[in-house]
Amino acid sequence: MFTKSKTEPAKPLEVLIIDDNEQITKMISSFLDMSNHECTVVNDGKEGLELIKTNQFDSIILDLAMPEFDGYEILNTLSKEDPDQLSKVIILTASSIPIETVKKFKELGISSCLQKPVDIDQLLSKITSVAE
Amino acid sequence: MIKIKQALFLIFGITSFIIFYIGILNYITTEDKNIGMVILVFSAIVSSGTFFATFYISNNLTKPIELLARRMSEFSKYNSIRKNGLDDKGIQELYSLNKNFKEMTRKVGDALEKEKQLNQELKEIDSKKTEFMSMISHELKTPLMPIKGYVQLLQKQEMMGQLNEKQLDAINEISISAKKLEKLIQDVLMAQKIDLGKLSVEKDIIESKILVENAYKAFVPACEENGVKLMMSVTASDKVYSDSDRIAEVFSNLICNALAFLPEKDATLEIGTKDNSNFVTFYVKDNGVGMSDDQQQNIFKKFYQVDTSSKRKKEGSGLGLAICEGIVKALGGKMWVQSKLGKGTTFYFDLPKAKIPIQQFRSVKAKNSRN
Repeated sequence: MFTKSKTEPAKPLEVLIIDDNEQITKMISSFLDMSNHECTVVNDGKEGLELIKTNQFDSIILDLAMPEFDGYEILNTLSKEDPDQLSKVIILTASSIPIETVKKFKELGISSCLQKPVDIDQLLSKITSVAE
Repeated sequence: MIKIKQALFLIFGITSFIIFYIGILNYITTEDKNIGMVILVFSAIVSSGTFFATFYISNNLTKPIELLARRMSEFSKYNSIRKNGLDDKGIQELYSLNKNFKEMTRKVGDALEKEKQLNQELKEIDSKKTEFMSMISHELKTPLMPIKGYVQLLQKQEMMGQLNEKQLDAINEISISAKKLEKLIQDVLMAQKIDLGKLSVEKDIIESKILVENAYKAFVPACEENGVKLMMSVTASDKVYSDSDRIAEVFSNLICNALAFLPEKDATLEIGTKDNSNFVTFYVKDNGVGMSDDQQQNIFKKFYQVDTSSKRKKEGSGLGLAICEGIVKALGGKMWVQSKLGKGTTFYFDLPKAKIPIQQFRSVKAKNSRN
């Protein structure tokens, strides 16, 4: 059923979604489930950071604006403690990010910064490209 | 430059000397020494009186003027003057001049203070507005995400299951509306950014021809779908130092705009460039309904919609052209329109040609990236 997409890897990917909006995480996770990927969802930044530290994900979808512990704090902690993880991060945000910040993200090794509402096919192709 | 004091002493010094000199001359030449002596004494008194009067006047004249000058320079530096006293003796006109100036500085100072306060308040309101807009944008975009996502999922029938024709139709309608809503939110945000002068541009050296070709390729399918003949006319290609993504937005807005006002039959749309010494002029020309002079005056204003009755299907926020103009201005160019009712419309925009030779530009760029 999924053989028609050439970018689809044979191996299912482990994806972590960190976003405080439950409807968004539900939508993305059901899409990824249907695309035969493994999905872990957290709606809280701190929990997300713990999961990144204790697990190996192929790709991490990260929202920036979250109450209490936000995406920037996660990025800060990772850049200090485990900068290798940053290359797996896909930022997915509804805020408009200034060019300077995007450049900073790139310097940190984050290549993907997507704007909500994102095209889900585009999101999937980012997930697979980040995992490679 | 000469001081008043010096001038006064020069004039009155010479005058008193002449008077005294005449007195002496008279005494020497006169036969009646008694009268000569009287005149000599008189001239001595007059000349020394003149001298003392000059001294007195010059002091009284220059002091308040010097004070006024000092106050003026003080005021221009600090927007206020210290309350140093001025005696009300001396020359009345100069005293009132000083007094009036002092009064004036007080009023101007108050006004400046008020302006400062208002400026501060405006800045606060402005930053609140920006904050509010970014909050709103966030709040509007977030719920669009699951809407758009589920619509896309439902359209992938191999994933969510087969839909019947009515369901598919409904989903497509939701999809179209969601896209419109997304574009509307983007437009409002973009207009806001332009208003605040916060539109970021990433410039690079690009061939003008490629910019037009990109727009052409992007819109051929949409034009064919609408039965519109899209043409491209590029005579020469120049290098412009600009932002290709932003220019693509301008073309997209202009072409979409034109599509809404084209006739149903034999509709043509031409995009291209014209050379113009320091600038490259890009244009989007249609053979649509055209605009009156009045409409052309207002066309770049935000939320302005050309009223063309119900004949044409027109949509949008009325922000598209204001955004185009804002982008072009941010890129250092200008935008204008030529149109006649019933004769079609041409939108033009200028972009400055790249001035630095490419080789040099690369070295500049490499230098910047090293920092």
